[in-house]
Amino acid sequence: MTKTLLRVQEIDVFYHDFHALWEISLEVEETLVVSIIGANGAGKSTLLNTIAGVLNPSQGTIEFQGKKINGIMPYHAVAEGISLVPEGRRVFPRLTVLENLEMGCYIPKARQKKKEVLKKMYELFPILEERKNQLSSTLSGGEQQMLAIGRALMCEPRLILFDEISLGLAPLVIKNIYQRVKQINAEGTTILLVEQDIQRSLKASHKVYIMQSGRIRLEGKPGELSQVDIHKAYFGM
Amino acid sequence: MKLLQSGRLYGIILVMLALVSLPYWASRYWVLIILLFSLNLALSQMWNLLAGYSGLISLGQQTFIGLGGYALAVFSIYYGLPIWLSIIIGGMVSALFASLISAPIFRMRGVYFAIGTWTVAEALRILFSNWKYVGYGMGLFVKPAYALSFNTIYFTALGAGMASVVLVYFLLRSKLGLGLMAIRDEETASETLGVDIFRCKLTCFLISAGVTGAVSGIFYLNNIFIQPNSAFGIDWTIRLVFITIIGGIGTIEGPIIGSFLYVFLHQLLSGYPSVSLLILGIIAIGVILVAPKGIMGTLQEKLGFEILSPRRR
Amino acid sequence: MLSLLNELKGPITNGLLLGGLYGIIGIGMSMIFGIVRLVNLAHGDLVILASYLSLVTMTLFSVDPIFTLVIVIPAMCIIGFAVQYYLLNPVLGKGMNPPLLVAFGLSIIFQNLLLLIFTPDARTLFTSISVKTISLWGFLNIPLVYLVDFAGSVITIALLHQLFRRTYLGKAIKAASDDEGAAQLMGINTKTIYAFAMAIATGTAGVAGVAVGITFTFYPQTGPEYLIIAFGVVILGGLGSLFGTFLGGLILGLAQLLGAHFLGPGFQLLSGYLILLIVLTFRPTGLFTKV
Repeated sequence: MTKTLLRVQEIDVFYHDFHALWEISLEVEETLVVSIIGANGAGKSTLLNTIAGVLNPSQGTIEFQGKKINGIMPYHAVAEGISLVPEGRRVFPRLTVLENLEMGCYIPKARQKKKEVLKKMYELFPILEERKNQLSSTLSGGEQQMLAIGRALMCEPRLILFDEISLGLAPLVIKNIYQRVKQINAEGTTILLVEQDIQRSLKASHKVYIMQSGRIRLEGKPGELSQVDIHKAYFGM
Repeated sequence: MKLLQSGRLYGIILVMLALVSLPYWASRYWVLIILLFSLNLALSQMWNLLAGYSGLISLGQQTFIGLGGYALAVFSIYYGLPIWLSIIIGGMVSALFASLISAPIFRMRGVYFAIGTWTVAEALRILFSNWKYVGYGMGLFVKPAYALSFNTIYFTALGAGMASVVLVYFLLRSKLGLGLMAIRDEETASETLGVDIFRCKLTCFLISAGVTGAVSGIFYLNNIFIQPNSAFGIDWTIRLVFITIIGGIGTIEGPIIGSFLYVFLHQLLSGYPSVSLLILGIIAIGVILVAPKGIMGTLQEKLGFEILSPRRR
Repeated sequence: MLSLLNELKGPITNGLLLGGLYGIIGIGMSMIFGIVRLVNLAHGDLVILASYLSLVTMTLFSVDPIFTLVIVIPAMCIIGFAVQYYLLNPVLGKGMNPPLLVAFGLSIIFQNLLLLIFTPDARTLFTSISVKTISLWGFLNIPLVYLVDFAGSVITIALLHQLFRRTYLGKAIKAASDDEGAAQLMGINTKTIYAFAMAIATGTAGVAGVAVGITFTFYPQTGPEYLIIAFGVVILGGLGSLFGTFLGGLILGLAQLLGAHFLGPGFQLLSGYLILLIVLTFRPTGLFTKV
């Protein structure tokens, strides 16, 4: 029985006046890869952003390692051990690859370990070492995605959140990236990822949640859910 | 119109009667206050027209103050024209200058526009300071104004103040006003609906310039002495900005409240001009931080309270 | 042709050196403009505030103006930090006008505070180098103080460059201005970072203030003059680029002195204003920015 790392209980989230999430509850156990699947507008990104502190729930609680974290500022999430790879990568265009990675270990306790973590990152994504002095805006889509992931890993988080990392990338590149995701998980980092691609996430995860219109419709282990049930939940039928 | 039916109209008429009869029952101190109030009211209504309704933050209204004032001086002194004509010419000169600079100035957006207008004023300040015809930096005495009685000047100023409110009120209820409010709310969308943004803004710019120039003439009737550093100085804009911000930007009543507050404060601290500006600045910052819509705007928001509503109902 | 060059060598050299001073005046404004998209209308007044701070320090400790930098720079940094943190951060993101107007209000407050404390008298920071000229290669006479200003400008800009390239703070500032949200995900408290950026910018205003004080006379209302210069420098050189701003300063200095040479000394400022208006009309993003 693995320990629960992240526990979300009955949260409601408003995005300005729009009621985006309704009574969401989920649990992410240590060392697992958990996916949240759903169509566009299902609220997946909103959920990740709320866990990372970018948005705050109006009701309910979020607990990380037993500690309540709902209502924190996004720059505190990193110190708690949660790191988010945001939708659209959002690398810093005016900084080089290396500088982007350095921003990843901005928090004081990560700065001391920069050299060794950097080495690990270069092993995981050799292309980043090759291009380390290039401006990040000159990288291709796939390379930027790897940079964004590497950057999020620099602070050695216990939980890493991936928001649609396959968006806009070629299938081969996506396959490549998901192999690294597996590697990252194998080294002990818990992963919560958001995807539109059903098959991809079923293959990669230990547990899935299916969201539709701001609610969780279905949850379970990939092997135990039927295709019919999954599609019904995905499309809200 | 709803205005006619409400009791507010009678309140307004009462106030106006009191003001028109003021010289006959109040002390000269108060007549001067209302005189300055009226002039500041007219000027700030014009600034509000630009900043609050057209989205043009101008830091260069002093351009037209200077041009209007000097037109009054030059035409009445050197050409012996009647005062009233000179004032009107001042307005026309200002509007003409505004149209001349409108092409380059309107290419500047936002803060560029602000600094651009400021720079034009500074450039004129230097030019007039170095110009023999207008007495270099020493300025001119508007001697023909001595012939006027204080009361005459008061009534002119009062008239200008009231006229400015009426002007803005009817402007905003016109087609132009509708366009302005569309621009204020959502500029890009209004353009797709056929609102000619450039013409709207240009019209406001010209009107505001012309009225400011004419009102400046009235001011210098009272002040008598005009010199470039004060006529083209940024102090004018400071006053107008603070009056409008504190009173409530984008409302017709805002400049009324703001002008009165300003003149009152200024007279109260008349021995200490720096202190009054200092306090004004602190209040203005406080207002922006705490109640960005100003006194009137916040009243409108919280209580739905409007005296002069430009909305068509 | 040769005689024209000979005639112009003075204005050109002086223009370039003066341009160095203008560059350092503009750097602070360029930084803030590039980072938080705010035009600090109080920048000129901050420069003059620094001049007065230097004056006070000079009088209190009987030191040369250059040594007052030790106190002036930190003092200005603290002022800048406080202004950004308490007054400007709350209105950032509430539209374009509130930050502009708060800065405008600050400008008025500073000017009138200085008026009340120091009276409208013109002051200057007396130093032995203020009146010396040196002779270069026997055919060029330049005021020593211009050279000192230029050197100070170059040193400050070089230091800033290193700060942005090598320190975590410098890179965090760039990151926060690129993408505030993503920067927060890195653990960067962007509101505090903006305050630090403003602190650095006002620190440079501190250097500029001392330079202005030893070169020219100043009084409480000189601020707006330098605001327009700073703005001109930033517009000419392009936003957010250290080197571009420096170049912008050189161009403005050249334009001013050449204008003064051909049109008369009263037209020095005016030439600068004209150039600014022309650039504002046709290329407000700056002469050197890649559009």
